Amino acid sequence: MIYSKIKTATAMAVALVVLSPAALALDGAELYKTKTCSTCHGKDGKSPILPSYPKVAGQNEAYTLQQMKDIKSGTRANGGSAAMKGVMHLVSDEEIAALAKFISTMQP
Amino acid sequence: MNRKHILTMMTAVLGLTVSATSLAWLEAGGQRDEALHLKPDHENGIEVYEVCAGCHLTEGWGTKDGTFPQLAGQHKEVLVKQLADIREGNRDNPTMYPFALPESIGGAQALMDVVTYTAKLPMNPDNGKGEWETGSSEFEQGKKLYADNCTECHDKNGEGIAEKFYPKIQGQHYNYMMRQFEWIRDGKRRNANPDMVKQIKGFSDKDMQMVINYVSRIPVPKEDLAPSKDWLNPDYD
Repeated sequence: MIYSKIKTATAMAVALVVLSPAALALDGAELYKTKTCSTCHGKDGKSPILPSYPKVAGQNEAYTLQQMKDIKSGTRANGGSAAMKGVMHLVSDEEIAALAKFISTMQP
Repeated sequence: MNRKHILTMMTAVLGLTVSATSLAWLEAGGQRDEALHLKPDHENGIEVYEVCAGCHLTEGWGTKDGTFPQLAGQHKEVLVKQLADIREGNRDNPTMYPFALPESIGGAQALMDVVTYTAKLPMNPDNGKGEWETGSSEFEQGKKLYADNCTECHDKNGEGIAEKFYPKIQGQHYNYMMRQFEWIRDGKRRNANPDMVKQIKGFSDKDMQMVINYVSRIPVPKEDLAPSKDWLNPDYD
């Protein structure tokens, strides 16, 4: 019992040490602003600058993740993606994942 | 007969290309000229600039990595020309395009308001620079290239010439200038000045890096700079 508690505490401590720098660095809400997502898609993720740009708030995490990856790599080049490709070099794979997660939690 | 016909056609095509290039640099009329005759409104300038700040930051400093250029301290004539060129489809910039539209910014008056405001912002004392320190051999070679090729339009220290729409390049981020220079040299920047295209045609990639390294290290006059690189624009909270 005690052993198990210690084990849990140790595991938690290890997890904190390992995860916290990454977790701190990858604040999806902050990234959404600093990586200029909000400039085009709106602060709330549902007031894009052009009607031909998508609302993104509440979009499925897996879908957003894939679109960001594909626009960054150039696999997806249709529609307005040329506009977004211009900034995607600013975003790492880890940041893309954090953004996709955050965007999925935005109120649609 | 046939050959003569082809020759005439070729001349015609060539003529079209040449005039299209000149027109692309400085087409008369449009909102650029209209805006520059208007009296700027400072408060509206602040309001309009807010959308620009989404990428160029509230200080107008852009990003050191050169993704977004510094706008602070740029001549209002240059800013209005580039905005109008992007708006009118004369300079390709898909990321910026929607923000140059009248729906986002407004008409000629708003253009004048926002460019006058931006031109007066103090500049970034910590712009992105090339890799070669002041005094190095590459720096000196860049300095010579600059003196031989660039001063007629961009002036002795990269000040540019406002009334001719020649941009200020002192204090600009290295990577941004590299990208634009390469696009101008290689014909990708459609509103490039044809004289510059001609002037830099023979520049190798190394020449380009050296001259821009030099420009990125030209000191900006102290009175044009913000007091520190941590300065925040008090017009926004």
